[in-house]
Amino acid sequence: MSAPQPGRPGSAGVAASRALPRRRSPVCGVALVALLLLALPLAARADWRSAPRGEGPDSAPIQTIDGVPYVAVNDLARLLDATKFWRSDLRRLVLRTGAHNLTFVADGPFAVVDERTFWLGAPVISRGGELQVPAAFVDSLAPDSTLPRLRRDARGRNIFVLPPSGYVGTPELQAGESATTLAFPASRPDEALVVTRSRRDFRVRFGGLFTGVLPDSMPSPSLVREIRPIASAGGCAFELRIDPAAGSFSLVSDGRGRVTLVFSRATDAGEAFALEDPAGPRALRVIVLDPGHGGTDAGVIVQDTREKDLTLALALRLRAALAHVLPGTRVVLTRDGDQDVPAEARAESANRARADLVLSLHFDGFGAGRSRGASAWCPPATYSETRAAAHPPGRPMPTPSLVTLLPWRDVAARHGVQSRALAEALLSALELGGQGPTRLREQLPVALLGVNAPGILLECATLTSPADRDRVTQDAGLEALAEAIAQGVAAYQRNP
Amino acid sequence: MRTRTVQRALLVTLGLGLLVGAGWWWSRRARPSEAPAPAAADSARAGVRSVQLYFAAASGDSLVSESREVVDAPDVGRRVRVLVSELDRGPRGSGVAALPAGTGVLRCYLDDTGSLTLDLTGAFRQGFRGGSTAEYLAIASLVRTLGANLPEVKRVLIVCAGRPITTLGGHLPLDQPLDVQDWP
Repeated sequence: MSAPQPGRPGSAGVAASRALPRRRSPVCGVALVALLLLALPLAARADWRSAPRGEGPDSAPIQTIDGVPYVAVNDLARLLDATKFWRSDLRRLVLRTGAHNLTFVADGPFAVVDERTFWLGAPVISRGGELQVPAAFVDSLAPDSTLPRLRRDARGRNIFVLPPSGYVGTPELQAGESATTLAFPASRPDEALVVTRSRRDFRVRFGGLFTGVLPDSMPSPSLVREIRPIASAGGCAFELRIDPAAGSFSLVSDGRGRVTLVFSRATDAGEAFALEDPAGPRALRVIVLDPGHGGTDAGVIVQDTREKDLTLALALRLRAALAHVLPGTRVVLTRDGDQDVPAEARAESANRARADLVLSLHFDGFGAGRSRGASAWCPPATYSETRAAAHPPGRPMPTPSLVTLLPWRDVAARHGVQSRALAEALLSALELGGQGPTRLREQLPVALLGVNAPGILLECATLTSPADRDRVTQDAGLEALAEAIAQGVAAYQRNP
Repeated sequence: MRTRTVQRALLVTLGLGLLVGAGWWWSRRARPSEAPAPAAADSARAGVRSVQLYFAAASGDSLVSESREVVDAPDVGRRVRVLVSELDRGPRGSGVAALPAGTGVLRCYLDDTGSLTLDLTGAFRQGFRGGSTAEYLAIASLVRTLGANLPEVKRVLIVCAGRPITTLGGHLPLDQPLDVQDWP
């Protein structure tokens, strides 16, 4: 059996050999040129086993040999950021990482970590000139602040390095007749947070990276219909679609590395979901249109086009279009001329008019022309009424045990579900009208601070995009834009 | 026939000679004449660390990350300055600078709860141009870069030239601390 070559066979150590100066002879030069030519076709495959380095954890594959899961020792060294030292006469490999030495002997079923010896359950073997270590070794590594923490993934296909920010594992779902629980193993359970509480877009956020797998489908009695990962900075987050039959939810952290989400059919078993409109047409008596900027604040300026002029022109056309598609609805403008209007005054106008809907009209600008299309900004559904207010009619009123305080600044969050529905209806209408691409961002904009009504800030087009600018600076283009927005408002009102 | 064989032998010899000559020249060139001098960043007191910077994608849809080596700073305040300075320097890859040009740090203060008060130069506000997308990306680039490289920072309150600001461009509020996890 040939000697395995885990690092550089026969060398005293990779790190030491790198430090020595080398003299190159002419023959070496010729040989190098020839080797380079020979290596060219192989270059594309050179890094086939390296895990992509980026946002995800560094990982290595596990392969099963004779029924035993193994990891290649070179992968193990990479994950542990270790230097390899191979003694061919003893067939012994030492991985040195920080102050630790990890020793393996070919065909030996033991590993020595510093002074401690571990039984691996199977021997270290050689395959393809490389040592393979039983993956069980990873489980025997004690947590140590100076050693990268390794873990096997839920399906046992990979070994990965636990990120310093912590981890969130595969959730366990238990679906009963009255409640559904979703339990996540999490190394930082105290950082779990329900971000939005709408049944349709229920979001929960964790500190730490998600290292598990999500179920492909849900069992029939489950109140959780769907779960998918969504972007989150510095952690992970999931968006859930909750069955309309769910009446309340709770988030429980047991302090021992487990976070449980409980969705119950009862309305008094936890916190209420965000307010939702019943199905059917919505009452739109007053619509407030807020043309962005004005006066000394011109907004985005590209060549001769000023955002403040366009928003006012669009608002006037939209008022006419809304009168056509929603007759009987009163339309109020926060400004009808070129004047400065503070954000507080705009919010006051909307609240005084008892608006059923607020549309803050803007035009975007970014970069050198590659960005285009429309964006909608709506408040996230972070607020729900007390349990008492959320109870269904016809049933006894539960004793209110929670008082939820909401700063007036954030009052638009009460209407998060409706605002998102409005944003989706408008963006859909713009897409259908060929005014896309569109983006939806859930973040409370300045225009909706202190506004007690469903509403969005709509960037109707991007002025830095020549195509968008050409379209909306022509009468026909602006008219088509107003028509598309009016159709979107009508779709929101119909609430299909 | 014999002349041809001689010609071929000469050609092969010439080719081999050229190859050997090129190899000799390359090895002479590659041989170090003296021990290499230490790099400027190598010193007993200052190490070099890799940081993750976030810039805007050219399409304006998201942020893109870029790794960069910077000289390590001994305290949070100086690390914040280095990070903002690198953001202001702009991307080396495919991204687009998101911070208004000339933005720098005047002062910063991190309290025990992980709340960082960041006092930026007036250029942050005066240099801003654009709509809500440019505004979002400028703030997200800053907040996410700080959050990614300084785990102790949980929230960022942005002030400008020593004074609180309510917004950068009129679209997104800056009157309250921003949670670093809210800016993906």
